[in-house]
Amino acid sequence: MDSVLSLNNITKFYGKIRALNDVSFEVPQGSVFGILGPNGSGKTTLLSIILDVLKANNGNYLWFGHPGSPSQRKKIGSLLETPNFYHYLSGINNLKITQSISGRGTAKDIDDVLKKVRLFERRKSRFSSFSLGMKQRLAIAAALLGDPEVLVLDEPTNGLDPVGIAEIRQLIIELRNSGHTIVMASHLLDEVEKVCTHAAILRTGELLTTGEVEEILIDDDVVELSAPDLNAVANLLQQLNENVVIDNKLNVVHITFPKGTARLDEINSFCFRNGITLNHLVLRKKRLEARFFELTNN
Amino acid sequence: MNLLRTEWLKIKKYIAFWLVIITTALSYPGVSWIFRQGYKNLGQRKDGGAQVLKMLLGDPFSLPEAWHTLAYSSSLFVFIPAVVIIMFISNEYSYKTHRQNIIDGWSRDQFMLAKMLNVMVVSLMVTLLYTLVTLIIGLTNGPNANPNLNKWSQSYYIGLFALQTFSQLSIAFFIGFLVKKAFLSLGIFLFYFLILENVLVGLGTYYKISGYKYLPIEISDRMIPPPAFWGRIDKDNYLKELSEINSHVIYTIILTAFIWLLCFGINKKRDL
Repeated sequence: MDSVLSLNNITKFYGKIRALNDVSFEVPQGSVFGILGPNGSGKTTLLSIILDVLKANNGNYLWFGHPGSPSQRKKIGSLLETPNFYHYLSGINNLKITQSISGRGTAKDIDDVLKKVRLFERRKSRFSSFSLGMKQRLAIAAALLGDPEVLVLDEPTNGLDPVGIAEIRQLIIELRNSGHTIVMASHLLDEVEKVCTHAAILRTGELLTTGEVEEILIDDDVVELSAPDLNAVANLLQQLNENVVIDNKLNVVHITFPKGTARLDEINSFCFRNGITLNHLVLRKKRLEARFFELTNN
Repeated sequence: MNLLRTEWLKIKKYIAFWLVIITTALSYPGVSWIFRQGYKNLGQRKDGGAQVLKMLLGDPFSLPEAWHTLAYSSSLFVFIPAVVIIMFISNEYSYKTHRQNIIDGWSRDQFMLAKMLNVMVVSLMVTLLYTLVTLIIGLTNGPNANPNLNKWSQSYYIGLFALQTFSQLSIAFFIGFLVKKAFLSLGIFLFYFLILENVLVGLGTYYKISGYKYLPIEISDRMIPPPAFWGRIDKDNYLKELSEINSHVIYTIILTAFIWLLCFGINKKRDL
């Protein structure tokens, strides 16, 4: 799979503070690439560098195999940090400026994206009169203008209500299904887990891990099982593996194996041979949230 | 053209911009008209003092002398269009659209070039206004006492006025570009333009320190010396000032080019 974006040893200092340290990864074409990290981990700094808003102190990045340039940025729909528009202009006039600079889209496309983000009725209202959610939707409309192949979205659901969040999530899934590449920074793990195919996790400027979301999620095999007597089954399973925990809330036992080594059929027959009949047996993926907390030591 | 088109989209519905432009459009002819009326009233007075003063002033509002007189009086009001220039750049910072323009696909040099074009366009608008006001006042004021003088002989002041306006508006832009905050930039520019540099020039003149001629505003102010009647009061100094116009044209071009090179250089290197 070709890379849309390659980051090579990106390092950025703010004075003496190192915001990014030697960050390298590749964004495959057609992927939805989530950049995850707690506040201050360097997500927005990273996106700002690849959009030429900030200068890296070291390292470089390539868009489509070439160093970043204005002509490449014109082909990328971007939303960085906060919606940046002229407060005294209307929504539609702000998009005309986006269109004039980027060359993306036509007058009709402006109407279409405004309809897509449900701002068409308010297109002639001044930007300063918009609510936070409307401003965010206008920024998303600007990014979508002209249907760019690549989108860079920094916290795209910021300020949106639950309906708006669900709509944007659905929009990203539709874009993914139609072959768009999306680079998305978010601290909403649920959002990333639901829409991203790939992810990179940052902590205080360090890249902790990167790869397909499935790979990042599955670090250990966690087998969840249940039987009428939880204590009996837990004692029995300790003969197989020391990592056995009873979850009294869910009324289940969790047993953790190294990645790829859990054999559900063997566990089931071992319990049965020892007189215990299981009524629940499943291999659980570790949720991204748990994995994220593990990696970032939070 | 795309840069100008985009800048036009930014300002065409910006009410504050048009209010300042209207203020400028009213103030330039207004002030010139007040000076001219004062001069006219003086001519109608029959007392000896007024007649002596009129003799001293000559025909400052008749062509070709009006080109010089009105270039000088109009140049005192550059601070009005400077408000627009400072608003242009500080708006970009307060709305963070200076970043968005780059994200959307302008290079940093294109962004700065668009801003330079803005300053040029406003300078041209102001120069056009000065030219029209001078023509109207000059043509309605009656012929010069000396009919042999060519009405256009001093029209080179149009060029000098344009360069002076561009240079001084570039200084206003530079302050806005560095400071980023509209009110603070305006405060600094107005304090320097109206007070500080005048004090420094006054001190320089009093203590005969010639360095004051090279202060940022004074450099271009000296391209348009006080009107010709000044020569009847202090002839030697007036002739000296006239002889220095050409060198101050060169200094002004160098200073203005340096300001813009600095703006382009800083914008290219700094984080947005």
